[in-house]
Amino acid sequence: MSAPAVGTVGGPVGGPAGTPAQPGTAAVLRRAAAAEWLRLRTVRTTWWCLLAAAVTTVGLGVAAAADTADPGGPGGVSAVFAGEFGVLLGQLALLVLVVLAVTSEFATGQIGPTLQWTPRRGVLLAARLTVPVVVVTVAGLLLALAADATALLVAPDLGLPLSELAGSLVGVAAVLAAGGVLAVGLGLLLRSTAGALASVFMLQLVLPFLLASFGVEWMEDLAELLPGTAAVWVMLGEPEMTAGAATTVLVGWSAAALVAGGWSLLRRDAA
Amino acid sequence: MIRVLGLTKQYGAVRAVDDLSFDVAPGRVTGFLGPNGAGKSTTMRMVLGLDRPTGGRALVAGRPFAEFAEPLRVVGALLDAGAVHPGRTGRDHLRVAARTSGIPARRVDEVVDQVGLGPAARRRVRGYSLGMRQRLGIATALLGDPGVLLFDEPMNGLDLDGVRWIRRLVRQLAGEGRAVLLSSHLMSEMEQTADHLVIIGRGRLIADASMGEVMRRGRAARTVRVRTPSAGLLAAALMRRGLRVSPAADGDLLVEGTGAETVGDVALEERLAVHGLAEDRSSLEQVYLDLTGDSVEYAVAGLPGEPLAAEPVPVLEVRP
Repeated sequence: MSAPAVGTVGGPVGGPAGTPAQPGTAAVLRRAAAAEWLRLRTVRTTWWCLLAAAVTTVGLGVAAAADTADPGGPGGVSAVFAGEFGVLLGQLALLVLVVLAVTSEFATGQIGPTLQWTPRRGVLLAARLTVPVVVVTVAGLLLALAADATALLVAPDLGLPLSELAGSLVGVAAVLAAGGVLAVGLGLLLRSTAGALASVFMLQLVLPFLLASFGVEWMEDLAELLPGTAAVWVMLGEPEMTAGAATTVLVGWSAAALVAGGWSLLRRDAA
Repeated sequence: MIRVLGLTKQYGAVRAVDDLSFDVAPGRVTGFLGPNGAGKSTTMRMVLGLDRPTGGRALVAGRPFAEFAEPLRVVGALLDAGAVHPGRTGRDHLRVAARTSGIPARRVDEVVDQVGLGPAARRRVRGYSLGMRQRLGIATALLGDPGVLLFDEPMNGLDLDGVRWIRRLVRQLAGEGRAVLLSSHLMSEMEQTADHLVIIGRGRLIADASMGEVMRRGRAARTVRVRTPSAGLLAAALMRRGLRVSPAADGDLLVEGTGAETVGDVALEERLAVHGLAEDRSSLEQVYLDLTGDSVEYAVAGLPGEPLAAEPVPVLEVRP
């Protein structure tokens, strides 16, 4: 690359003299969130994750719902089963999206420039928590809805009562928001993509099913304390659990991860 | 401007930066010089709020950097050109940066043109050469048209064109009244670029002086090598004039603290033949090595010609 002439540097946005007037915290937060949204949109992994989530949620969700609608199937479910079952599996792709949004900056060193642009770490934490969590929650809601509608088209016998649909979508949103916060917190705390992904997968999917599969009582009790078990209960109503217990587990894990990850971002050196 | 006040950073048992204080004034290029591992990058990271100081503080335009709502309009910095998400295009990287400080999007295209990134700006950073990454980093630093600029070893790994370009750009930025802090571990990079030097070693301030003062010391530290068949007579004549003379291993004379013209004139006065007369041209580099010699983190023991344990040179303003 040849060296270009050094052009004039003085741009239209102020100059070396003095400090410009400072906008308020609300404006800074709005800009940080807009930047975060732009960050998500401008890397390909985000779109690959959304595609994977769409294929899994709609594909597997509809297949499972159609199965139950068969004369020989278990029966007794409506089309919302498609969205619920689909999100239970598709959430993994969405959680990968959230983890990568946080940890890829540590892996690439991009966190340095990011903190130079948004040095108020509380602002960065708020934006980095809100934007990916809202994105995956909204994406999950839309995919669940798409799965429900598709299932109804494929198997009209299932039916889609509106009251059930509303409750089902609230559940989907709760599970994805809680999982998203958990993923952001663990990502900020561990800073490593592999470490955060492994932790989220273990807590959300692997351990709940693994522990419950041995038929040992204390393992089942332990599994009920994991966020993945509560997520399964919210979606499928299994295993035996009260709504209060499930809520406590979901909120507790997310809050703990957020406190730890938030501490890590606010107090530790950038890299 | 930048004000560093008693800045200290401790990593376990290692004190990377030790009670460091200096100012970076507007309108000039301040060279931040020191051997590798002296604490230059750590100091810059603390100025930018990336790392938390163990003690002391750093102010930019009178405030801690972390307080600014639109930091890119106050400080532009390039610390590590490689620290960019490789999956984003250069232009998108700049768009994200612009959005955080409320900088209009058209400014992105202006800085892309200014640093000569051209059509590469629409490619993903993954495929950039080091030179292109440096240009992207400098474009980011210039985005908010800031009054303070920090560049950490910006010439590392660049070809000659790139080095010249950065040198001219840095000179121009200071000429426009901005405060520029430019770090390097090479004196030769500073000779043509810096107005003022802050030299550190092992995290401590060694010198804070204008380039002129360092140059003067460089001239005072000159050494002349003379080849003459009358070494004894010439040495005696030079010593009578108060000059320090020592024999080199090959029989030449080494005359300290003066230039070739003085030695030549003395030889003529004494009517002694001179077969060779050479001035040590790397005088400035030598001053730097003398200053930092005892503070090099990883010295190679016993390497001839390396100032391993040079005594502190109290000629420049050395702060307590």
